[in-house]
Amino acid sequence: MATEVKLPRLGQGMESGTIVRWLKTEGDAVSKGEPLYELDTDKVTQEVEADSDGVLLKIVISDGEVDVGTTVGIIGAQDEDVSALLADAQGGNGDAPAAAASEAPTAEDATPPQAEQQPAPPPSDTESQAEPSDTESQAEPSAPSEATEAPPARAEGERVKASPLARRIARERGVDLSLISGTGPEGRVIAEDVEKAAVQPAAPSAPAAAPEFEVVELTSTRKTIARRLTEAWQAPVFQLTVTADATELVATRERMVELMRESDTKPTVSDVLTRLVASALVRHPPVNANFVDGKLHRFSAANVGLAVAAPAGLVVPVIRDADRKSVQQIAADRADIVSRARDGKLALVDLEGGTFTISNLGMYGIEQFIAVLNPPQVAILAVGSIEDRPTAIDGEFAIVPTMAMTLTCDHRAIDGSEGAEFLRGVKAYVESPALAL
Amino acid sequence: MPELTYREAVRDALGKALREDDSVFIMGEDIAEMGGSMAVTQGLLDEFGPTRVRNTPISEMAIVGSGIGAAIQGMRPIVEIMYEDFLTISMEQLVNQAAKHRTMSGGQISVPLTIRTQGGAGWSPGAQHAQQLEAWFVHVPGLKVVFASTPEDARGLLWSAIYDDNPTVFFEHRTLYSIKGEVSDELQPIPLGKARIHREGSDVTVVATGRLVHESLQAAEEAEKDGISVEVVDPRTLLPLDEQTIVESVKKTARCVTAHEAVTRGGFGAELAAVIQHAAFDWLDAPIERVGAAFAPLAFAPGMEQWAVPHADDVLEAIRRTVARG
Repeated sequence: MATEVKLPRLGQGMESGTIVRWLKTEGDAVSKGEPLYELDTDKVTQEVEADSDGVLLKIVISDGEVDVGTTVGIIGAQDEDVSALLADAQGGNGDAPAAAASEAPTAEDATPPQAEQQPAPPPSDTESQAEPSDTESQAEPSAPSEATEAPPARAEGERVKASPLARRIARERGVDLSLISGTGPEGRVIAEDVEKAAVQPAAPSAPAAAPEFEVVELTSTRKTIARRLTEAWQAPVFQLTVTADATELVATRERMVELMRESDTKPTVSDVLTRLVASALVRHPPVNANFVDGKLHRFSAANVGLAVAAPAGLVVPVIRDADRKSVQQIAADRADIVSRARDGKLALVDLEGGTFTISNLGMYGIEQFIAVLNPPQVAILAVGSIEDRPTAIDGEFAIVPTMAMTLTCDHRAIDGSEGAEFLRGVKAYVESPALAL
Repeated sequence: MPELTYREAVRDALGKALREDDSVFIMGEDIAEMGGSMAVTQGLLDEFGPTRVRNTPISEMAIVGSGIGAAIQGMRPIVEIMYEDFLTISMEQLVNQAAKHRTMSGGQISVPLTIRTQGGAGWSPGAQHAQQLEAWFVHVPGLKVVFASTPEDARGLLWSAIYDDNPTVFFEHRTLYSIKGEVSDELQPIPLGKARIHREGSDVTVVATGRLVHESLQAAEEAEKDGISVEVVDPRTLLPLDEQTIVESVKKTARCVTAHEAVTRGGFGAELAAVIQHAAFDWLDAPIERVGAAFAPLAFAPGMEQWAVPHADDVLEAIRRTVARG
């Protein structure tokens, strides 16, 4: 019995995903648990496994954006007839890849499909032979209509129909064809359309040569970053900065390294800091919270997200229950998620449930910076470099390692005093890690 | 300038060549006393006698074959195949012999043979006496292929065909014999491989041959009324082809229609379209439209015949498709 491979919901809030490529081809034997295809969600790219044994009989959707629950393939027995299943799947899917696009259908989309088919062949052989050339020379021209100024209604990623001449002119003048409504047959962009579009913005009298640039398509991850951080920018935020003496922090970490077992992951200063911040978080519930639909969700555990630069863009995998873990365990968790983040192997579950985020650019020598909120979290800590700096201690100059930390707070959820109390707590733990016990 | 019919223009070139050059002679079915089935060779027997104006048996294979032999021996024979449909019977001689000798002999032999023939619909000749088979010969290296559409072109091109050292198939169109056109006082040879721009325009180029040159010119006038400026180009020689003139025209207009009376499928328009799209790809603003006959043996019934072959209104429709909006 053949089974449909449906796009799974891999995390809460996931509505769709983009199939990057299939790892199996039609006719391949697959067993349950084997990676079947690569799926790009708005957070990660991950391999989706087969959930039954058999032969991959049909790839229904080979790539592109697909809604959750859509049938993307069929697994069954060798030579099994899946046409009924396939018809159901395709009927049920509709025009699956395009269905994801929300644009209103164009007039052409609304045209019944029959309209594009050739007329039924005439009865006699002679006539039917005459058909192809006849069709070619007498194809119905579309009725001319006035060019409209409406933006082109194309599904995302849909190929722009444009004549070779239109393409050349667009290339030469740096016009983006995808922004032009074609007035040619079937919406084809023709030279005149490009010329009109090219002159619409007040053209400088002497057109400057456009600098060369490379067009980089946004990955799903990058699009998500753009969308979420733009959202975050709308929150009213304030920042608080403290500078902590990092002598004890560094010393504690060094002692831990000395005492670690050979099989242990070597803890970093950041790992120690994660543990200290987690302790501070559970003591300051206003900061360990999410702002959701006008309500605050305050958490009893500290799930600390770490901002990681992955090849596809920033990701924030989460160390769960960091307040209850040893630094050694945090180091092991951190090493695992960071390496998987860099390999693009994070699962959605790695990214969900964060209650707070730490962004550390100290390793780049950044002394101090301001992080942008990671919604729905209400605060994020930006950690700068630890360096020997001149400091006054008890009225004397001293050179000690110091570290600046800047807390960005969502003022809808946190008042200045609450943020300040939390940051003071963090500073105290950094300067005396034993207090976090 | 004097005016000649297309028929007279062909005869004029034949007469001048016969008069000036003893190596020239003509032969074909009923071309002597009868003056040819299309009356092209009328009067030539009287002037040049039966040695140089020769009737032949009804054997196209023999007509072309003996023409090849004479040409190899130093003559400049002009043979007539009454209907181009019957070129099919001479195919072996034409394709396997005439076209090959020069190359296979390493240039020791040349075949300066001219094969005149005619065809075309419009007068109910039926399926076996009206075909337009010029594209068949464009496919054969070693041949030259000419298709004249006006009296001036017929006269000047025929002269060049006679004096070309390669076998040349010279197509005339049955329905053009009576058209009149101005010609120069003295015969002006027209080089093979040189297209003629009949009409300049800026919106679309129609590349037409034979009868369709005239239909296209008529379509161009109609289009002009709608503000569509049409350039009409006649390649005149299909092999070798004046690609430069055609491509330059399409680069100027960005749109192209090909038009011939032969069936569209596998017709010369397909070769034109291929040449143009490759050389002018970045200049094309619309798909190249092809106009030709329906893909069917031609009907005898006049109404059906008229329906099957293209006319000015078909060219006009194609022109409008290339400039279509929406």
